Amino acid sequence: MNADWKPVYLEEKLTEIRADGHQGYRSRSLPTWCPGCGYFSMSEGFTIALREMGIAPENVVVVSGIGCASRFPFFVNTYGFHTLHGRTLPVATGIKQANDGLTVVAVGGDGDAFAIGAGHIPHAARRNVDITYLVFDNGIYGLTKGQTSPTSELGFKTSTSPYENGDMPLNPLMMLLSYRASWVGQAYAGRPHHLADMIARAIAHRGFSYLHILSPCVTFDKTTRTYANLDIQVCDVPDDHDRADLMAAMAMAESSDYPALGVFYEEQRPTLGDVMEEIGRRARSVPIHGGVIAAE
Amino acid sequence: MHGTDLQIAICGSAGDGTIAAGDILKRTMALMGYKVIAFDLYPAEIRGFGKCIARVRVSSEQAYSLKHHSDVLVSLHDGHAIPHVGEVRDFGAVIFDDAPIARVAEGGHMSAHVRPAQIPYGASLRAISEQASGNARGRNIAALGYLAGLYDIPPEAFQQTIMRKFAGKPEAVTEANMQAFDAGYDVGAGVFKLDDVTMEPPSYQAEGARAVMMTGNGATVRGLLDAGIECFFGYPITPATSIMERLAQEMPLRGARLLQTEDEISAIAATIGAGYAGARAATATSGPGLALMAEMLGLGVMAEVPSVIVVSQRGGPSTGMPTKTEQSDLNMAVFGASGDAQRIVLAPTNVEGCYRCAGKAFELAERHQTPVIVLLDLYLSNRYETVIPPKTNPFAPKPFEGPSVGGGPFRRFAETPTNVSPRALPGQAGGVHTITGLEHNELGRPSDLPEMHAAMSRKRHEKLIAATEHPGLTVAKRFGDEGPVPVGILGWGSTFGEILEAMFAAQAEGLPCTAMKVVMLSPLPLEHIEAFFADCTHVLVPELNYEGQFAQLICGATGKPVTRLTRATGTPMQVEDILSEVRRLAATGQPSEGETDERGLEASLS
Ligand SMILES: Cc1ncc(C[n+]2csc(CCOP(=O)(O)OP(=O)(O)O)c2C)c(N)n1
Ligand code: SF4
Ligand SMILES: [Mg+2]
Repeated sequence: MNADWKPVYLEEKLTEIRADGHQGYRSRSLPTWCPGCGYFSMSEGFTIALREMGIAPENVVVVSGIGCASRFPFFVNTYGFHTLHGRTLPVATGIKQANDGLTVVAVGGDGDAFAIGAGHIPHAARRNVDITYLVFDNGIYGLTKGQTSPTSELGFKTSTSPYENGDMPLNPLMMLLSYRASWVGQAYAGRPHHLADMIARAIAHRGFSYLHILSPCVTFDKTTRTYANLDIQVCDVPDDHDRADLMAAMAMAESSDYPALGVFYEEQRPTLGDVMEEIGRRARSVPIHGGVIAAE
Repeated sequence: MHGTDLQIAICGSAGDGTIAAGDILKRTMALMGYKVIAFDLYPAEIRGFGKCIARVRVSSEQAYSLKHHSDVLVSLHDGHAIPHVGEVRDFGAVIFDDAPIARVAEGGHMSAHVRPAQIPYGASLRAISEQASGNARGRNIAALGYLAGLYDIPPEAFQQTIMRKFAGKPEAVTEANMQAFDAGYDVGAGVFKLDDVTMEPPSYQAEGARAVMMTGNGATVRGLLDAGIECFFGYPITPATSIMERLAQEMPLRGARLLQTEDEISAIAATIGAGYAGARAATATSGPGLALMAEMLGLGVMAEVPSVIVVSQRGGPSTGMPTKTEQSDLNMAVFGASGDAQRIVLAPTNVEGCYRCAGKAFELAERHQTPVIVLLDLYLSNRYETVIPPKTNPFAPKPFEGPSVGGGPFRRFAETPTNVSPRALPGQAGGVHTITGLEHNELGRPSDLPEMHAAMSRKRHEKLIAATEHPGLTVAKRFGDEGPVPVGILGWGSTFGEILEAMFAAQAEGLPCTAMKVVMLSPLPLEHIEAFFADCTHVLVPELNYEGQFAQLICGATGKPVTRLTRATGTPMQVEDILSEVRRLAATGQPSEGETDERGLEASLS
C-alpha cells in the first residue's frame, strides 16, 4: 500500500471539518459520500489547491452534473452550480463567456462525462475554454446504486450487466488527447497529496485542462477498481516524458492497465476568451456592413 | 377607392430571382413611404426548381396581414404560377412572359389560364432583358421595370433600391440590372392599361422617412441588441437561424459574445450559465431545438436563473416542415419540462411586437429570475413590415444584483414578500452560494422535506404572477367594438393580423365585432381574458395547429366554451375563413353549448 495514503473515515472527517469551520474553502454541509469513498480526497485536494494558489473563494465557481461526484459543489465554500446529468461543460462555458475573470472548475463522474455528456467534451476541448475539468472515474454509476458505466471493465458484473459487461470501455485520456485538450493529466484518489498538486496545476493552466482521477467506489465495486488493485497498478509518468509530445502522451494513455499518474500533455494556444476578443477587434476594424441595421 | 391598398405576387422557380425581385419591390415601396407587409414562400431545398412566391402588400393605411386576393401576379415561371391565377382578383392583372417557347406542353403557357375578368399582360421579359443587357438573367428586374411603367410608379425609387441591392457586386452587374429595369419600364409605360389597379401617392411621407423594413427576426435582433444582450449561444435551425446570423455580425461590434454551440442542449445550458454569472444571455431555436432544451428549462425554473429563449415555430411534429409556418409549439413552450415548471412565455403578434418582447424578455427574466420564452413562428419571423423605430431605447438596463451586507451564509432563496429572492453573482464577496436542480431550502441546499417542496413550489409559481403587469409591455389588448358583442375573436401570435383584418371586414359588413390579442401566454393575463369573455356571446379562437392548443389553454384557464378555428396546412390563416366563422356565429345568436370544432383544412394558397 502506498506510503502517503491512509483510508479516510467519516468520523475523522467530521472532526476535521468541524475544526476547520466554515471559514476558508469548506462549506458547512458535510459530505454525503460513503465512508472511504475516493471522493473525500477531492474535496481535500481541491481545498488545498485553492488555498495554496491564493484564489479567493468568491472568484471560484464549481459546476457539476449529477452523480455522487457531482455533489461536490455543496461541500466547498465557493460559488457552485449543481446542474443536470451530463451538462457540466456547456454551463461552465456559459459562465466563462459571461465573466472571464472567474476560476471555473467543472466536476463530474465517468457516466456524467463519457455517457450522457460525451458530446460536449470535444467542443469544450477544441475551443480551449479556460476551465478545469475534473472527472472522477470509478467505472460505475455510484449515485444510482451501481450500474455499468462507459468506463466499466469488460467482464464487470453490475445490476444492469448481471451476465458481465461486454461493452468495450472507453479510454478517456486518449479521447481527450485526440480532442486536443490543451492540458491532460491523471491522478488517483489514493494519492491525495499528488491529487492536490495536480488540481493546482490543472487550474493554473491557461486553457482547457482535463484531469482524470481514478477513484474507487467502495460501496458498489468490491472487485475491480479497488484501492488494493489500483495501488498495485498505478505508476508515475516517467521523468523524461516530453509533455509537448502528443504521440508520446497517446502511447502512455494507451497502456491503461498500468495507469500513469502525472501530466501527459500540455500546450499553449488561444483560449475561447482570446478568440472572442480577436473577433471583437476584427469586427470593429472592418465591420461587414455599416455597423447598424438600418433595414434588412 | 381611398388611398392605396394593393398586393403584388411574384411567382417563379428557384433561380429565377423571384425573392430578389420581391425584395426590391418591397424596399422601394417602403422607401416611397408606403406601409408594406411582405411574406415569401420558398422550398426547403437549396437547389432544384422548387416554387418561390414573393407577396408584397402595399398600402397607405396600416395593414395587418396579407390579403386573400392579390391585385397583380407576375409570373417568372408559368408552370409554378398557373395554379396561382385564381388568387388574382377580378380586374386585376397577370403579367407573364409571352415569348414563344419552342416546346410548351399544351396548357403550359400562362395565356391559356388567365380568367375572363382578369387582365393579361404578355411581355417579352426575356427578350427585353437580353436586348438591354445582353443577358437573360435580368428578366426579374425587367419585370419590375414593366410593373413600374405600367402603374406609373416613379422609377427613381426603384433605381435607388437596385443600386443598394447590388452594391458590393461588380459594377457590370448593377449596370446590367439597371438597363433591364429601364428597358422594362419603357415597355410597361407604353402599354395600354386595362385593369383597375391604382396607386395613390403615399400618405405618410413624414414618418416614412424614419420607417424601416424589418422582418420579425430582424426586429427580434434589434430588441435583443437594444436591451444590451451580452452573450448569445445558438445552433442553426430554420426559421431561427437568421437571428443568430445577424447577431454574429452585430454583437462583436458591441463587445458582446456569440458562440455557435454543438447542439441546442448546450445552447441553453450555456445561456443559463451566463445568466447565472450575471450576463444578459439568450438563445434562439425552433420546435425541435426547444424539445431538446426542455430539461434545461426545468433547471432554469428550479435554480431561478434568468434566461431568454427565442423560439420560432415551424410545421411539426418532428422535423416536420422546416420552411412552413405553424403555431403548434404552444404546449411545449408553456408546459415543456419535467415537474411544475412555470415560466414566462411572450408571443408577439407583429414585427414591432417582436422588438418589444425580445427586449422586455430580459427585464422579465431578471425581475422574476426565470426563463422567458419569446414565441414566434415562421410567418412572423420571415415577414416584412414597415416599422418606425422608437426614438429612445425603451428597455431598462440590468438591475444591480449583489449580496446584502450582513453575516451568515447567503440565503439565495430567502422568503420575501414578492417571492423573488436577492441574487448574488459569482465574483461578489459575501454572496457565495450553490444553486441546484434539486429541490432545496433557502440556502440552496438539497432538501426534499414535504413542507419545503410545498413552500418552494408556491414561491416559484407566485413570483410570476406580477409579470402580467410589467411596465411598457402589452400583455393583452382588445380592439374593435366596445361593450357586449355577439362575436369576439381571441388570438395569439402571427395569426392576429388576419384576425384584425377579419374583424374590420365584419364591422364593415355591419356586424359588431371585437378582437383581443393575448401576448403573454404564461402566466395568462386572466383579468383581461375574463373581461373579454364577459362581453362576448361567442368567442372564436383561430390558430395554426390541428388541436387548437391556445383554445385548450384558454378553456382550461377560464372554464368557458370557445369556438375553435384551426388550420394545419403550413400556411397562414385566411381572413375569409375567420370572417365566415364570424358571420356564422353572429347568425346563431345563442351561446354555444360546449366547444365546437371547426377545422379550416381546405387547400392552402401556396
Ligand atoms: C437525464 C438523467 N438521466 C438519468 C439520471 C439518473 N442518474 C443520476 S446520476 C447517474 C449516473 C452517475 O454516474 P457517474 O456520472 O459515474 O457519477 P458517480 O455517481 O459514479 O459519481 C444517473 C444515471 C439523471 N439524473 N438524469
Ligand atoms: S456510492 Fe460509491 S461513489 Fe457514491 S459515495 Fe458511495 S462510495 Fe462514493
Ligand atoms: Mg461513476
